[in-house]
Amino acid sequence: MSERAVGHDGMSGRAVGHGARWVRTAHAEWTKLRTLHSTWWFLAALVLTMVAVSALTTGTLRAGDCAALRTCEEDTVKLSLTGVWVAQAVALLFGALAVSSEYGTGTIRTTLTAIPSRWRMLAAKAVVVGGLVAAAAAVGVFGSLYAGRELVLAAGFTPAAGYPAIGLGDGPTLRAAAGSFLYVVLVALLGLGLGTALRDTAGALTAGFLLLYGFPLVAALLTDPDWVEAAQRIAPASAGLSVLATRNLDALPIGPWAGLGVAAAWAGALLVVGWGVLRGRDV
Amino acid sequence: MTTTQTPPAPPNPPVAPYRSTVVPPGRDGFPQLLRAEWTKLRTVRRWNLTLLGAVLLTILISLFAASSGKVETSGEKRGPAPTGPGGIQILDSFRYVHRSLPGDGTLTVRVDRLVGQGETRLSGWAKAGLLLKKSTAQGAPYAAVMVTPGHGVRFQHDFVHDTAGSEGDGVATARWLRLVRDGTRITGYESADGSGWQRVGSADVPGLDGTVQAGLFVTSPMVTRMERSFGAVSVDSRPARATAEFGQVAVSGTQGDWRHTGVGGRLPAGAGESEGAGTSTGTGGAFTVTGSGDIAPAVQDMDLGATSLSGTQLGLVLIAALGALFVTAEYRRGMIRTTFAASPRRGRVLVAKAAVVGAVTFVAGLVASVVSFVIGQPMLRANGHKPPQFAELHFTDGPVLRAVAGSGVLLALIAVLALGLGALLRRTAPAIATVVVLFVAPLVLVSILPLGLSRFLQQVTPVAGFAIQETRTRYGHVDSLCLPEDGCYPQGPWLGLGMLALYVAVVLALAVWRVRRRDV
Repeated sequence: MSERAVGHDGMSGRAVGHGARWVRTAHAEWTKLRTLHSTWWFLAALVLTMVAVSALTTGTLRAGDCAALRTCEEDTVKLSLTGVWVAQAVALLFGALAVSSEYGTGTIRTTLTAIPSRWRMLAAKAVVVGGLVAAAAAVGVFGSLYAGRELVLAAGFTPAAGYPAIGLGDGPTLRAAAGSFLYVVLVALLGLGLGTALRDTAGALTAGFLLLYGFPLVAALLTDPDWVEAAQRIAPASAGLSVLATRNLDALPIGPWAGLGVAAAWAGALLVVGWGVLRGRDV
Repeated sequence: MTTTQTPPAPPNPPVAPYRSTVVPPGRDGFPQLLRAEWTKLRTVRRWNLTLLGAVLLTILISLFAASSGKVETSGEKRGPAPTGPGGIQILDSFRYVHRSLPGDGTLTVRVDRLVGQGETRLSGWAKAGLLLKKSTAQGAPYAAVMVTPGHGVRFQHDFVHDTAGSEGDGVATARWLRLVRDGTRITGYESADGSGWQRVGSADVPGLDGTVQAGLFVTSPMVTRMERSFGAVSVDSRPARATAEFGQVAVSGTQGDWRHTGVGGRLPAGAGESEGAGTSTGTGGAFTVTGSGDIAPAVQDMDLGATSLSGTQLGLVLIAALGALFVTAEYRRGMIRTTFAASPRRGRVLVAKAAVVGAVTFVAGLVASVVSFVIGQPMLRANGHKPPQFAELHFTDGPVLRAVAGSGVLLALIAVLALGLGALLRRTAPAIATVVVLFVAPLVLVSILPLGLSRFLQQVTPVAGFAIQETRTRYGHVDSLCLPEDGCYPQGPWLGLGMLALYVAVVLALAVWRVRRRDV
């Protein structure tokens, strides 16, 4: 009923316009997240796991692993971003908890009393969660690539040995960096969609982990290469993370940007399902 | 302050705890605690559904993995793979220079040189030495003493038995070997100079009775090079040929002329094309022999047992959720206060919880793995995974029983680990996320990370527990690639499960300590 009516500013009683209402909704969501300790722990964990796992992985690289550096197929950029595989779990957790914890504590009733437009509430949550995760992911991706660059050089993959250093501004590297950044944000939105649809932390997490990690595992279990490729094309994690590759793009199951599109489709579809549940069901 | 003459207040009189006069007092023992926890687990419908879901998911994914791959046999028809004593699949191809030996006897030889032929380098398991064999048919019982380029002097018999002698300096200098037959007791000796002899090994080989063949042999297994980068593995196997020069050949008890035989003209299916036969020249005291092939058990690429149990890798997510919720739900609902009020010894409560959830998930996991195996194996066979290329697995085989029962133990350990983490963290979300990141992330990552790191992860993360699902027998005297994506765990089944059990023990101990120290 209040969807079309002009909203009121609670304190001054002034009528507020459409745009301001959106800003206020987003501000309310931001306040809720900002004042939780766990938010900052999650964001710190996101950055730390990404950089730490990436650096530990890249640190194991030895020039001796390749017979000849010039023909070495090792994709150092992709290796430097291995942490995304683990950090996505934190992003999923953060996205899912942003809404499922409100169901757990009952805050959701207050939230929807204050913001009766469920669509606006969900969109505002998506914007705030996405923005926070984006900030953390940007730091994590940059840190991973920077650490990777140094470690790869230290491992002997130097330009002098015929191996180009990771240039943070190179086209493929930039694509991998931007892609992994977007991917982490998409996973957080996927978690938000799952949390909204399932309204339960444990359920949303289990479903999300099965989707992100279980799907590639099932793909790996298949013995028929055609099936493996088909499964990798539709799994959110394997398709979405094909964007990490900077070499041997032909060997990928799906093109880098198309793969990210698959991940975006999953996130979008789950948000739509979440919105459908939110709209159709009582709280 | 005024002093009063009132006597000091007596200590609180002992208050008799309230006892109901209607209901007989309950007993506060561990069995009662187990029953309480079992009742909790039994009566929450969502947990029952989760458990059922875990079983169904495990079975479905296992059957999916079993049904998804077909083996396409190449057009060329291969003969059946030879089997050795005990029915195991073997490789048995080598160049043999031999005479008949009707009774007891002794063979002595000096191996002067063992070198590779052509471009490919020699495998560390190329073999040259003395061999007693019942006949020149593939799979016939044998005993041999040999030098190898990478593994010193060895005494081997009947394909699976291997005893190491001196490491020496490989094949850089000449080495003396001696093989003595006394009935069916065969003994191998080695010497650096031909005068001081050391025993390498001795075995009673029942198959070597009556007249046997005795002589010199040379063989060299395939040389396999592997390049692995980010999920793409290229394996390049080439037959290698080894040439050995033998001098000072001395035999006693033998009859007839020296015969030159290429045993096993062709390696069995799956091992590529290779001439088992080679060339050999020489008479009397000196021979030059060139051979290719191997005398060893055949190694299979694919673990059919583990394949039909692979649903466990996904079922664990639901099992972990159940284990974590079994304690975190109590914290969230405040039920934990009632629990601890009823049974104040908190460590014992947690142990009871672990026992109940462990037993229940073990049974569920066992049901899932038995069904997966029993239905999955015929599906695999229908898809072409059958003899002679793949050995048939029976439910009663030792490794199969270990894998099937081990899968139940694996899931039970994962549930207890999740329970411990739930008690430590008191929140559902971080507990489930930690278990998943500890287990599932390494399972995904081992096939895309560099090999060294993958093997490290397989050994030190809780994923090591999946080693219990291996049903292949691995032999120390056969080179195998052991790739993580083939489900090969370098440390072997029991060490792997032990690693997981260690994690579980540490986490549960920490949880007990924490629950006792902290307020609820």
